[in-house]
Amino acid sequence: MNRLRSYPKRLFWTLYVLGLSISLILDLWFLYSKKFHYHFQFQYLPEFFALFGLFGCMLLILIAKGMGFFIVKCEDYYEKKLRR
Amino acid sequence: MEWIHPGILILLCGLLIPHLRWKKVRLTYFLLLPIAGLTILWLTSSGTFGPIPPWPQALLKWRIQLMGYELLIVKIDKLSMVFAFIYVIAAFCMNLYALRAKNNWEHVAAMVYVGSSIGAIFAGDFFTLFFFLEMMSWCPVFLIWFRGTRKSMGAAIRYALWHHFSGACILAGIVMHFNRTGSLEIVHLPWGWGGNYLGYNLMLLGFIINSATTPFHSWLSDSYSEATPSGSIYMTAYTTKTAIYCLIRTFSGVPLLMWMGAIQAVFALFLAVLENDGRRLCSYHIISQIGYMVAGVGIGTEMAINGAISHALCHIIYNALLYMGAGCVLVVVGTAKFNELGGLYKYMPISFWLYMIGGFSISGFPLFNGFISKVMTIEAAERIHNVPVYFLLEGATVGTFLHTGLKLPWNMWLKGMDEPTPSIRAKLKDSPLNTPISMLLGMSILAFLCIFLGVYPTILYERLPYPVEFVPFTLTRVFSHMQLFIFTFLGFWVLRKLVLGHPTYTLDTDWFARVAGHWFLWFCEKPLMIFANYVDKKLMEIVHLFVWMSRNPTLSLRIKREEMTLKLKSLFANPSHLKERELRLAEKIRNYPGELPKLGLGGALFLILMGLFLYLVLYLISLY
Repeated sequence: MNRLRSYPKRLFWTLYVLGLSISLILDLWFLYSKKFHYHFQFQYLPEFFALFGLFGCMLLILIAKGMGFFIVKCEDYYEKKLRR
Repeated sequence: MEWIHPGILILLCGLLIPHLRWKKVRLTYFLLLPIAGLTILWLTSSGTFGPIPPWPQALLKWRIQLMGYELLIVKIDKLSMVFAFIYVIAAFCMNLYALRAKNNWEHVAAMVYVGSSIGAIFAGDFFTLFFFLEMMSWCPVFLIWFRGTRKSMGAAIRYALWHHFSGACILAGIVMHFNRTGSLEIVHLPWGWGGNYLGYNLMLLGFIINSATTPFHSWLSDSYSEATPSGSIYMTAYTTKTAIYCLIRTFSGVPLLMWMGAIQAVFALFLAVLENDGRRLCSYHIISQIGYMVAGVGIGTEMAINGAISHALCHIIYNALLYMGAGCVLVVVGTAKFNELGGLYKYMPISFWLYMIGGFSISGFPLFNGFISKVMTIEAAERIHNVPVYFLLEGATVGTFLHTGLKLPWNMWLKGMDEPTPSIRAKLKDSPLNTPISMLLGMSILAFLCIFLGVYPTILYERLPYPVEFVPFTLTRVFSHMQLFIFTFLGFWVLRKLVLGHPTYTLDTDWFARVAGHWFLWFCEKPLMIFANYVDKKLMEIVHLFVWMSRNPTLSLRIKREEMTLKLKSLFANPSHLKERELRLAEKIRNYPGELPKLGLGGALFLILMGLFLYLVLYLISLY
């Protein structure tokens, strides 16, 4: 039963790691064979979009968490603060 | 054949819904309304009412004279047609989803909302547009009110305040524009800084508030998350997209909009990271996606406008789907808070997968409809070589996938894969079909449209106002987007503990408005009221004095004179000398008014003549 339930999980992770590595290799291959047509020079950097996705995502979460120190309040913030 | 205005048809027929007695008839009628609208639109676009273009041949009688102004109720072109089509198609799916709503008046509010937004889309002059926009701004107030909670009461009133403020701005702009040009017809308006453009800036501000552009976006997340589950679906589509339509018509190519839109696309995502409520999170994604459209309108090239329009239309479809997914959970288990949810996959797998189609669409996965419209706007930013705007828009793609594709489904359905918490489990049946069928049907049609438009974008592209020579599926675009998403997932998985839900509330830009409003009310209730009471008291004292004097004017004047002299004398004289006079004065006041003095005939005549003389003096003064 336990193995059955974790089967989709394992399938997913196998596919994911496969896709990730293929995308890394293909990016270099396409770049080498000049298949890409970008508008900006920096987009031609190797693995630009991989790094953009990874760091963009992590930066987004971390900066937001930093903002959270100032703007995250308890659930009934307005009810308490604006009570007359 | 007569042409019937589909918006007015839906609006008026919608009012009849609660008067139909039998439930089956009522619900069928409710479903048939958008189909009737769709039929009219289809007949119009196939040329039954006259050749196309020119469109307005059959519509000349929809020109009316009102108090000397000529109003163009209907003016159809490609732009308004494609919006109207998506509006009625979306309305049908939303009606399917909303069939289970218990309150019939909710259906009425929804149909008036849909009808008036179609009316606004077809409006040919600013006054008609304003009329329908005002009508639109009322319907969501009811859709929020019908939720019936204490929070929704407040949210509805705040919604009304925001939209009446924006309505007033738009009206002021329209009046100033009319004074300047003498024409009410909807045309592209000039824009700039300075006093000459005050009216246009006011109108722009009105549309910006209506389209929830940062920093005026907070009304959206505040109110949409408090509406009824089915009512909020309608709200996701119409108000903001109609405002985008107005911006396209009037203010396309304003650089300010480009920057506001690009910043908004990312800013909303930061707030979404901290969000705990599923529907509020989806609201922030509406705001973020509107950023793309506003940026597209601001860039203003043909491609950018096409991108903005197609993104608005695709957005209606997938965002309704996302909201429906979150709404399903709210309907079934009674909450959409992340900290209370998780492990629902086993009980609602179909709604999960339908939601995921919406999630893939909004993120812009290839073969889903978000891709075909989003990359067009990004491409337009690339073509004008604007690096910051490109980075903001592409970065927003990452964040969108992070939230709607990963954070929300993980928190609602997948986190704690096996079982939801016991209190949630008690509300679920022991089957994978907890969601009502009608809701799933509505979602399925939208999901089908998401994929259909994503696979076959030509059907949308050839209906756009400018010719499209854009091919979305190139190796470069598909590959770069896929790589972006694969690595976004990696980033999410590394930091997944940080995006768990906590029972918190995230402040937004409306903090300023709400706190300022609070202090304004405090000022009105406390200092202003004390001042008002003081003035009131003093005024009443004067009035009482006059009444008192009128009972015996001569004696009262004497008493007053006596009081004055006593007061003056008391400053210099010995008080014991004045004792007797004070006693006499008190005696006089006690006996007041006493016996009235009798005037002789001469005295009376003198008084009358004095009165007439005063009147003459006043008259002479007023002459000059």
